Order: sequence, then structure tokens, then C-alpha cells
Amino acid sequence: MSATETFSSSGEEVINRSIDVHKEDSETPSYARDPGVFEDFYEIDQTVRFIEDGQYKRVTLQFPDELLHDSVPIYRALKRKLGDDKELYVLADTSYGSCCVDEVAASHVSADAMVHYGHACLSLNARLPVLYVFGKRQLDIDSIAQKLSEYFEERSGDLEDVKRVVLKHDVVYAHNASSLVDSLGNLSGKLSGNMQLSYDPLHRSTTPSSTSLYGEGVPKSLETIPSSADAEKTLTIWVGEESPTLTKLVMISSGQNIISYSPRTGKIVAQTPLTNRLLMRRYALVQKARDADVFGILVGTLGVASYLPLISHIRTKLKKAHKKFYTISVGKINPAKLANFMEIECWVWVSCSEGMVESKDYFKPIITPFELEVALQKAPDWSGKYTFDFKELLDSVPSTQGMSWRNSEDEDEERPVFSLVSGSYRQAKRFGDETATGTTASDTNASALTTRPKDNALTKLGDSAAAHFLQDRTYQGLDPRLGQDAPSVLEQGRSGIARAYDDDKTQT
Amino acid sequence: MVNFTVDQIRQLMDRPTNIRNMSVIAHVDHGKSTLTDSLVSKAGIIASAKAGDMRFTDTREDEKERGITIKSTAISMYFEVDKEEVSAIKQKTEGSEFLINLIDSPGHVDFSSEVTAALRVTDGALVVVDCIEGVCVQTETVLRQALTERIKPVVIINKVDRALLELQVGKEDLFQSFSRTIESVNVIIATYHDAALGDVQVYPDKGTVAFGSGLHGWCFTLRQFAARYAKKFGADKQKMMDRLWGDNYFNPATKKWTTKSNDTDGKPLERAFNMFVLDPIFKIFEAVMNFKKESVFGMLEKLDVKLLQEEKELDGKALLKVVMRKFLPAGDSLLEMIVINLPSPATAQKYRVETLYEGPMDDESAIAIRDCDANGPLVLYISKMVPTSDKGRFYAFGRIFAGTVRAGPKYRIQGPNYIPGKKEDLFVKAVQRTVLMMGRYIEPIEDCPAGNIIGLVGIDQFLLKSGTITSSETAHNMKVMKFSVSPVVQVAVEVKNAADLPKLVEGLKRLSKSDPCVQAWINESGEHIVAGAGELHLEICLKDLEEDHAGVPLKKSDPVVGYRETVKAESTIVALSKSQNKHNRLFMKAMPLEEEVSLAIESNKISARDDFKIRARIMADEYGWDVTDARKIWCFGPETTGPNLLVDVTKGVQYLNEIKDSCVAGFQWATKEGVCAEENMRGVRFNILDVTLHTDAIHRGGGQIIPTTRRVCYAACLLATPGLQEPVFLAEIQCPEDAIGGIYSCLNKRRGQVNSEEQRPGTPMFTVKAYLPVAESFGFTAALRQATGGQAFPQCVFDHWSLMNGSPLEKGSKLEELVTGIRTRKGLKPEIPSLDTYYDKL
Repeated sequence: MSATETFSSSGEEVINRSIDVHKEDSETPSYARDPGVFEDFYEIDQTVRFIEDGQYKRVTLQFPDELLHDSVPIYRALKRKLGDDKELYVLADTSYGSCCVDEVAASHVSADAMVHYGHACLSLNARLPVLYVFGKRQLDIDSIAQKLSEYFEERSGDLEDVKRVVLKHDVVYAHNASSLVDSLGNLSGKLSGNMQLSYDPLHRSTTPSSTSLYGEGVPKSLETIPSSADAEKTLTIWVGEESPTLTKLVMISSGQNIISYSPRTGKIVAQTPLTNRLLMRRYALVQKARDADVFGILVGTLGVASYLPLISHIRTKLKKAHKKFYTISVGKINPAKLANFMEIECWVWVSCSEGMVESKDYFKPIITPFELEVALQKAPDWSGKYTFDFKELLDSVPSTQGMSWRNSEDEDEERPVFSLVSGSYRQAKRFGDETATGTTASDTNASALTTRPKDNALTKLGDSAAAHFLQDRTYQGLDPRLGQDAPSVLEQGRSGIARAYDDDKTQT
Repeated sequence: MVNFTVDQIRQLMDRPTNIRNMSVIAHVDHGKSTLTDSLVSKAGIIASAKAGDMRFTDTREDEKERGITIKSTAISMYFEVDKEEVSAIKQKTEGSEFLINLIDSPGHVDFSSEVTAALRVTDGALVVVDCIEGVCVQTETVLRQALTERIKPVVIINKVDRALLELQVGKEDLFQSFSRTIESVNVIIATYHDAALGDVQVYPDKGTVAFGSGLHGWCFTLRQFAARYAKKFGADKQKMMDRLWGDNYFNPATKKWTTKSNDTDGKPLERAFNMFVLDPIFKIFEAVMNFKKESVFGMLEKLDVKLLQEEKELDGKALLKVVMRKFLPAGDSLLEMIVINLPSPATAQKYRVETLYEGPMDDESAIAIRDCDANGPLVLYISKMVPTSDKGRFYAFGRIFAGTVRAGPKYRIQGPNYIPGKKEDLFVKAVQRTVLMMGRYIEPIEDCPAGNIIGLVGIDQFLLKSGTITSSETAHNMKVMKFSVSPVVQVAVEVKNAADLPKLVEGLKRLSKSDPCVQAWINESGEHIVAGAGELHLEICLKDLEEDHAGVPLKKSDPVVGYRETVKAESTIVALSKSQNKHNRLFMKAMPLEEEVSLAIESNKISARDDFKIRARIMADEYGWDVTDARKIWCFGPETTGPNLLVDVTKGVQYLNEIKDSCVAGFQWATKEGVCAEENMRGVRFNILDVTLHTDAIHRGGGQIIPTTRRVCYAACLLATPGLQEPVFLAEIQCPEDAIGGIYSCLNKRRGQVNSEEQRPGTPMFTVKAYLPVAESFGFTAALRQATGGQAFPQCVFDHWSLMNGSPLEKGSKLEELVTGIRTRKGLKPEIPSLDTYYDKL
């Protein structure tokens, strides 16, 4: 055991750590058993084509934990087909979510392209061209068609005014999509003539340099919502298991009918009542956020495009609202990490669209940037419209609205607000208030050093959230006991080094 | 028509010795509002002909429709007492003019909080008792509240006309019934005797009991009759009053007074009360109701009562009303009784200051309150908010205990959580306007000195329900009002139209302002919850919310009950949880907290704000705690005030004080959301037995300790036979004998337990008292009516938390079903998490 262990862990723990992997062994083919199926499943040929067409020299292969065991066969298969001039790197243990492209890790090896394996959130990334390999999962299209037609017949009354059917599916079924669309097209045509099926195919690769950076289609394929007018007439069918993608889909398309078909159990579940539940729980979190004075901006992605503008946007927002905020990055989050920052009353988790934290284990609420936007509004508006898209968030705030909000607030800044969480009045603490700070008006950044005044007078440190918090703690560090202990007489100490002090010899 | 001006009132305000602040309190339907009309008509605010039918103080539409009072209403009146009677006033007075600030309060238990708010700002109470129904549960409740607030009562026995017209009781029976009622009032008063207040029992011969009929607008005290007869007998008025009550008899033959009920020949004598007081009344009743008009007019002439020509043409009850009102006008006798017997602010504040003021009794504010000093620092208590015609704005309604309030200067507005010397819950703002509250009208007034009741404009934005307003920087808060009811019945509301949500939120805010008791909040699953004291209260609140405060259509859930999670035994083994990094271990046991301690915490007898040494002393002396344990109570929870304790019983643990804040945070979290159903915990004591901590501070930070404390609390609970507590109402039901069977069967179906069943002496009425779980009380009133043919009417008031039978951990049990229901409603996993979720092996 070395002495350094108390200051930093040796890293051994990371190696020995066992990871909870959700294994669906029957689904992923093993290379050893059948190389042909394996290569087809992981689309080796397509990947090779992608790399060769793009003439990429260095390519990283990013694997989520549950597919890591296949990384070596895939690497070998690719290497065999590509030849020696291409360098391939395997990336694992991503810093944030494994659904996102880890561009920072890729840039460590100055990669110029990336192949992402497994489930993906398809968020728009900023820097690298990416090929997504989802893995080809088999889908029994006939049984889906049959189950759905049964469902439609049963509910024909409820679904009468449905004008449009939107098909969405888990990324692993992307390869089946076209046949699925065909069979469903027949089905809906059979049921009622005016029902119209729409489907946006997923895009398998993205190139950030392309002109359609925010253009329709590419990464937003999952998120196209019909205009609100015919929202009620739309039925969305989700093919896939319960997953964050479904949650997200449910959140952004509230007010629509959503049914989900689970290929594993073959069951159809109406998601609409669940949507309301979910939205209401999020609404409760927003109310908690309204009551918070100190925010933590949690960096949850380094890959999704425009995360930096968004973070700075959040900062300006919070500053305007006179809230204190800290920007913190802890990699993958867990309750223990976040609870270390006890003074933070609410977290804003800036991450990809599937990074919504719904867990009771966390000490303080974690909200999405959109929810923060809602929480900082003067009136607690909650229309049920929801968005995860950074770009949309950045665009959505017309500056004039912000101005009028400021003006009305200026009427009486001290006025307490009615907090729905406690059901009573609470007075918000106002940080960074120009009027209150006085001496340190320039910048209220708590970490900024201030020069000590010449005359040794006490300076008022403005309003520091940390100082407030420290005052409320019962334990404020080691007790200095100033003036309480009688001074003791100086004594001669030991001399020498720890291995053998000078006086050790005399004793033995 | 109004026979006084605002200027007159304003002048009187400067004389605190001539002010009477009083509230009218009683059981529901005993006639408070009707009686108040008589007083209001005396002041000329409403025509006296309408008094008794109008219910001037019922200002809301639904109050008029339902015929019950929902909100308390204040009114200021000017009264000039007969110069001769001034001498009867035992306290200091100047002149014979008086200002009476009267507050009419609701009688239904569900609105008790309104009564509490009214009592706080008054010094005296007029207790109305129905002469037939006698002292009922709410009479007792409000009387108890009045006495604990040190408020002096006087009593009026109301609805005497019914006894005469409907029940046709005899004179002696009526006397017996009166004295029984007075006796039961005095029993209650004696129970809550307070040395500082002195003897406040009521006696007719002292003039503190009146008899009358609010509906007919007549009323008398013995003082009136004594005044009439004193001249005739040439006796002293006070002596006459003594003789007119109790066992005093007059022998008409010998013209002598005696205390024996028989004369020397053994012939029965008539009681003086019956002979001199009841007899004329009985005679008038008989004559009028039997249409013997001539004898009526003859009697009236003797009594010196003059009727107008058109009044002489009336018949039956209408005539009776006019005659009695002229003979014994209610307004005069009641106001006289109030002025003579109830204390003025100058008198009352001397002994009330200790119970009103939180701060030391020798600071400037306390001294100014004691002296009712209009020139001292301002101390004003806001007891409730009254809606204005301007939507969403409120008058802050309260009493000035010291100083003078006026628009302009900035005052300190201290909310209920204000702590002297700190800045929380403190605002320094000016009052925009001061107004006099006159029932349904308001009168602007320039300023208002100590001892008066006032409405303030412009400070409603800074106080939710109540608070203290002061000009002294050192002033502490006035004590927070203690309500006799708790909001235990909850309903979730949601908007029908998502776009209306902001209106709902604003509406909830207004609703919580407008009612002292109602609570509104949002729960974890995002539902907006409104909680009230009972079904009726909630019904009124929701109606207000929908039609008035929010003004948008709402969806309402069925009423639900909030449960409390508790433990029934000590943890069988020591619960252990390890932190995420496995370097820290917490060892804990949970055990039930004594019910008395839980109650003491809930009633603030023991609180987190007390000095820990004093608190430990109390806990050791009164609740048998070990002093060392009691000193090591780390905190109360949830919300740092609840009835659960975290106690440190470790020995010699290093760095323990460092993790205290983290443990407290985890404990608050766990007690707020219990392990079984995420309901609040109640009555659980957590002992931290031992702690192993990593030597390096970074590895025992909040992140490691907070979630671990929560987990170890849960583990300890699961090991300690978890249980649920449900709120229980005390239901009092009055009914005739033949309805009792229906009551029993109705209670049986609803897990009710009958406590007592008593017949009210001299009547066929029974009073049944029973415990009824709040969860079973929905629709109880209607069911009871149905089962008893509309003869029984219950009054339910929250009484206690009761431990439910069974264990939520037992599969298939009723309790498990209940917990699963709550969990599903909250969107949690239906099963209670298993022990190994929280318990770690060593």
C-alpha cells in the first residue's frame, strides 16, 4: 500500500470493477459460431465501404459496455478487409452516455472518422463523420401486422378520426424498416382509406460539414412532430422495447396517441396515460427548480452539437434571474457524485436527448435545459410541449420576451413568490445583484480573487452562496479554539527521518 | 340610518379603555349570525325590522344559500351605555361611549380555523348556546380555544322562543334547563382554568348570562329585570340580581324573601326567577299566541312599552316579535352585557401579553403591548386575509396591540418563519392604506391606534396567511396561532385545459391566502393537492378555487387521505448500510417514539428551536428520556420540525461531527418519503449506534453519507416492523333515540368505534361520540342522513393518528393492498423495496 493511495486511487479498482451488463445473448450472434451471420449483423461490409469511400486514415470504433465482448472479432474482421494503411482504434467506457458519440476520446488519437456500435440517440454531433452500426435485430413483421390489425379492429371506434399514422422504431430494426412500412401501409390502407402512413427513414451516417447541419431529416428523424392542428388525429406506433428513446418520443409528442409494440413480448401498450404521468412528474421537478437559488450546470455531453452555446445560454439565463450557478462535469453521474455538492439545490443536465434522469435516488432534482427554461419563466406555464433539441431551445427564446419579463420583475424584486412545493411563500435569494454587492460590483464570480484593501478594513464579500451555505452548516471545519487553550511551553522535538529517528538508537 | 359616523369611531379608538373587541362563537346552527344581526341593527347598520332574517355578516353567496357562516366577518359599532350602568363596569372607563368591534365566526367544525383567527384579535367572546340542544362539541372546542387564548366569555342562551312555542315547557323546567346548560358551560371553563385570567365562570346573577331569541330579536339579562324591580322593592340593584336567580323565593303573602322553596305553612313557593322574570314573558307569549289582544295591550301599558298604530294591527308571531323586541330589545341588553363584563384591550393585554408575544417580557414591544400604548412601537398581528373586490388582492386583517399604524412609514413585516436578527421572512415595506372593516363594507381611515382591529392594504403580497408587523427592530414575532383542526383530507385538482395551468397556480396561491387552514402544494407525481379540514371545508375551497380564485374549469380527484409511516417495534437487528465507495458504514436502529413525545413535538411543546439543554430537561422530566440521549438529538424531521428524531448514541467516533450535516440531510429525506409508501414518517426514533468512516475527508463527503443515511434509515425501518398510521376523526352526532340504531349500523360499516352515548338530560336527544377513520368519512354525512331519516347530523374533527392493524410487509394483507394502491397512485413500483435494497452485509 503506497502512501499516495489516500490522495488518489491506484486505478486498480477501475480495472477490477464489474459492470452491470444487460445481456441479450440470444440476440447477438457469436463470431465463433457463425462468422457470416456475425458480419452481417454488424454490417462489416458497409462499414468497410464507409471507411474506404471517405478515405479515412484513422477510424475509431466506439462500443457500449454490453457489446464490448464483440469488439475484438469486429476489429479483426474490419482489419482483414481494410488492409494495413487504415488504423483502427477501439473505444470503450465512454465518459458520458454510450449512446452519444464520444468525440473527445476520438480526438485523443486524432481520428478522422468514427463507427458507433449499438444503441444510439442519433444526436447531432459537432466534429466527426460518424457511421452508426445498430446491429441487425430480427423482427417478425407478419406478427406485428397481425397484432396491429387486431388492435385496430378492437379500437376502431377510438381510432376513427386518426388521419395519419407515424411509424417509429428502435434503431436496431432500421434494416427492417422498409418491409415494415410496406406491410403496415397495406394494413392501414385496408382499414380506412384516409389514413396515411408516414415514416422518416433513419440516417445511418452523418457528416457535420454538410450544409444540412440543422436541416430537416438527418438527426431529427425521430423528432419530427406534426403540426399541432392535427396532433390529435395522429397515431404514433413505436416498435421496440421500453427504452429511453421511447420515453423521449413520448415526452416530445404529448397530446398524441402513442402505442408501443414490443417485439419480445408481442404486446401492444397504449402510452398516452403514461405520458401524462411522466409529464406531470417532470412538472413537479420544474416546480422544485423554481424554488432553487443555487444551480449546478452538469455537463453531460461533449459530443452533441451546440452544447457549448447552450451552456453559455443557460448561464446568461441564470444570471439574469439572479441565481447562483456552478458548472460541473463529473462524467457519468451517480447519486454519490452529485450529493457531494450539497449547496447545489437543483441540477441542469446538459446532455443528449435521451439523457433525462428519472430516478428517486438523487438528492436534488435533475432537470433538462428545457425544463430550466420553463422554471425561470415568471408564470409557471406548462403547455405539455416538450423539447430536447438544443438548437430549438436556443432559437425559441425571443429576446423581447426576456426583456418584458425583466421589466415586470423590477417592480418589486423582494416580493416573495408562492412556492407550490411547500405551499407557502418563499423569498428567493438574489445573487449577483448590482445594487446589493456595492464594493465588488465588477464581477460576482465567487472564485475571483479580490485585492485586499490597503487600510486592512474588512471588505464585504457581496453575496456568496457558498458563504451562506457555510453559515448554515453545523460543522465548519476544524475548531480553531482561539484563546481557549493555554499556550504550552516549547519542547525539544525528535530529529532525524521517520525510518530511524536520532533518539531511536539510544532507546534500543 | 347609521347612527354613528366614522369620525365618532375614530375618536373612540383613542380610548382603549372604551373599546371591546369580541367574537361571537358557538356550535353550528345555534344562532350566532342571527344574533349578530340584533347587535348590528342596534348600531343602525341594518333596519331593526330585518334583524333576524338578514344575516348581515354572511356576505358570501354560498353562505346565504346554505344558511351557514363560512368566513368570519368583522364589524365595528358605536354604543352608548346608560349613564346609570357605567358604575357597574369594574374596569377603568372614560365616559359612556363605547366602540365595539365584533367578529361573527362560523360554527361548523370544518371552519374552526376561522374562529381561531377571530379569537386572536379579540379579548372577549359571546358564547351562544342553543337552549334546547345545550352545550355541543363545537361549543366546547371554541370555548376551550377561547380560554387558552385568555379570552373572557359571556354566554347567551338562545332560541328561548322555541322552548316556549314548540316544546311548551313549564317555567320551572325552563329554569332547570337553563341552569343545567350554564353548569355545563362552567364545567368546561373550570377545566381550562387559567390563573392569569381569573375566575371567568358565568353566572346569571352576575349578569354574564343572557337569555333570548336572536330570531325574534329579544334578549335579557337579570340586570334589566333587576333594574325594573329594584325601584319597586326599593332594593339595591345588585342585591336584586342575586335574588332573581337560584334558590330564592318570594312569598307574596308575607312580602318576604326566603331561600326555602316552601313557606311556613308548607305550601310551595314560586321561584323568584320564575315569578319575576319568566312569568311576564310567559304571559305575553300566551296572550299573543292565543289572540287575546286586549290583555296584551294592557300588559304592555304596565310594562311601559308603546306600540305604533300599524304594529297594533299585527297578529300571531309577527306581533309577538314586535312586542318582545320592544319589551326586551336584544341589542341593548347584549351590548350592555358586553360592555360591562368583557375586558377592554387596556385590561386584557396586561394578562394576554405572555401568551401572545414570543420575545422577552421586558423588551420595548412587550411593555408597549402590556400597556396597550398607542405611542409605543407598533406591534400588529395579522390573523387572516380578507379578499377585496380587486381580484387577487387581500386586506390584511389584524389587531394592533401596540403603537399606531398609518399609511406611509415603512414597517417590518415579519412572516411566521422570521427569527430575530436574521433576514429571512422579513420585509420592510409601507402600508398603502388602512381601512375599517364593516361587514360587507369598508371605511377608509387615516390611522389607527393600539387596541383596535384594522384592515391593511398593500402588504398582502408579503404575507401568505398571517404575520407580525412592527416598527421595532428588536421585536420578536407574535405567537403563531394554533388551529384545532388539521388539513387531513386531500384532493388532487387538475386543469381541464393545459393552457389554464398558470391560472390554477395563481388560484391555489389565492386560495391558501384566503383561508387560514387550507393548504395547497404539488406532490412528487406532479399533482396539485388541496388539503382541508373536512369534506365540507374542501368542497367550499374547491368551489372558490374553480369559480373565483382560478376561474377555470377543473378536474377533481376523489378525496384521499394522507397516511403516516411508522414502526411498531425496535429493529430486530442492527441495520447496516455502506456508502457507495464501501469505505463508510452506518449502523442504525429504529424504534417507535412514545406517542406523547410525538404529540408534544406536533404541538410545539418540544421543538427543534428550543435550547437543547432545556429541551433535554423537559424530555427527561416529562417523557422519561435519558438526559444524555435527549441532549444528543441531532434533529427533528421531516422539514426539521416533524415528529421523528435522529439520536446519536455512538461512543467515541472520530470525525462524527463532520458528517452530522450529511446525516441530517439524509434523515430529512428519508422521513419525508418513508420506505413503504413514500408518505411522511411519524413517531420514529432513529438511533445511530456506530459509524465507521474513511480517514480521508474527501471519501466521507456528503455524496457518500447522504444517500447512505437514507438507505440505513430505510433498512432500520424495514427491520422494525413497519406500520401505517391513519388520521381519525372524532365524530359527534346528535339525534333522537330512535335514530341511534341507524347511527350504529352506519358507523359499523365504516370502521367507526363508538366512544360514548349520552342522553341530554331533560330532552329526548342523544349525543353519540365515535372515532371514525378519515378515510371512511367521505360521504358519511349523507349516509348518516339516509340511515336515520335525516335526523342525525355529524360534526367531525381531526382527533389523532391511529396505528392501523397488520403489516404492509405481509403479502395479501389489507395494509399491503393499501400501500400498493398508494404506490401505484404515485407512479412507483407497486412492491415495497426488499430489505437487501438498503441493507448491506458486513
